[in-house]
Amino acid sequence: MAEAAKPGVKVRFYRLRNRLKDKTAGLGSGMDGGIEIDTAALEAAQKIFEEMAEDYPDWVSNQIAQLYELHRRCVDTPEQRRGLFEQITAMAHDLKGQGGTFGYPLVTTFATSLNRFSTLRNDIRDSHVEIIKAHIDAMRAVIRDRIKGDGGAIGAALTRGLEQVISKYRD
Amino acid sequence: MKLDLQRLSVLVVEDSPFIRSLLANSLKVLGVGQVSLAEDGSRAIEFLQLVKKDPVRAGTMNVDLVLSNWQMSPVDGAMLLRWLRRHKDSPDRFMPFLMITAYSERARVQEARELGVNEVMTKPFTIRTLGEKLIAVINRNRQFVHTRDYFGPDRRRQNLPFDGKDRRSLTDKSPEVEIIHG
Repeated sequence: MAEAAKPGVKVRFYRLRNRLKDKTAGLGSGMDGGIEIDTAALEAAQKIFEEMAEDYPDWVSNQIAQLYELHRRCVDTPEQRRGLFEQITAMAHDLKGQGGTFGYPLVTTFATSLNRFSTLRNDIRDSHVEIIKAHIDAMRAVIRDRIKGDGGAIGAALTRGLEQVISKYRD
Repeated sequence: MKLDLQRLSVLVVEDSPFIRSLLANSLKVLGVGQVSLAEDGSRAIEFLQLVKKDPVRAGTMNVDLVLSNWQMSPVDGAMLLRWLRRHKDSPDRFMPFLMITAYSERARVQEARELGVNEVMTKPFTIRTLGEKLIAVINRNRQFVHTRDYFGPDRRRQNLPFDGKDRRSLTDKSPEVEIIHG
C-alpha cells in the first residue's frame, strides 16, 4: 500500500461496494438482507460429495501403500530417515484432514497421531520406525474393513493396540 | 434472496488431487460458473498474474474469490494470502480469501486472521459448511483496515455491547483516520 498522502494518518478504512453480492444476487436483487444458498443445489452437491466419498477408500489405500514404501526405506536406509520422516509427516497431515470428511474419523485419529509422532527429526531409532509402521497398519485395517464412524469395539481395539505399540517401543 | 453463483469465478488452490476435484465438483454443482484450479500457491500466483495479463489464455476474465488450502509446498496458502494482500504485483489486494486448513488450533486460526483472511474452514468439512462459508464471504463485506502492521478485512466482526473501557482511541472523525469509499 502506498504511504499516507496525508500526514498523520495512522489508519485507513476502505469501505468498498460489495461486488460479490452484486454479482450473486439473483431475483429480487436490490433488496437489503442476506443471501441464501439454494437448498436444491446444496443437496445436489451433497450427492456428488457422497459419490466421491465412495472412491475415498481406494484413494487412501494408495496413500497407505506409499506410506509402507516410505517405511520400508526407513528400514533399508537409516541414514535417510530424517527426510523420509518429513515426507511421512506431510502425508499424514493430508490424511488427517480427509478421513473425517468421508466418514472415516479413525483414519483422522491415527493420521493425527502419526503426523505428531513423525515430526521427530533427530536420533530416529529402529523402535521409532516400528511405531510408524503400527500407525500405517491401523489405518490399513480401518480401510480394509471399511470401519466407519468410531468403529465401536473394533475401533476401540485398534486404538488400544496402537497405544500399546507406542508405549512398548517409545524411548 | 436466493444466491446465483453463475457469474462467479473461483480459484481453488489445493495440492491433494482428490480434495481438489471434490471441491471443484461441489462448487460447480452449487452453481459456480467458473472454477479454476491450481496445485499450490506458486501455481496460483502464476495463474492470477496470467489472468491479469492475458485473460483469454488464462481461460477466465477474472477471479472473484480464492479458496485455498493452507499446507502446501513450495508456496503455502499463508504465503499466497500474504502475496495477494501485500505484494505490488497483486492483481487485487481486496480479493476475498477463504482458507481451508487441517490446523484447527486457535493460534492457527488467529494467524490466518492476522494475515488478512476473510473466512477459515477447517477440515474435515461438509458441503453444508462449504456453502455456509461461501455465503459468509459474500454477505459479510467487512471494511478493509490498513494500519502500519495490518492490511485486511476488519478483524472486529460484530459490534457487540462491551462493559469495559473502549480501548479504540480513534473514530471516523479523528484526523488520524482516512476513509476511502469505492
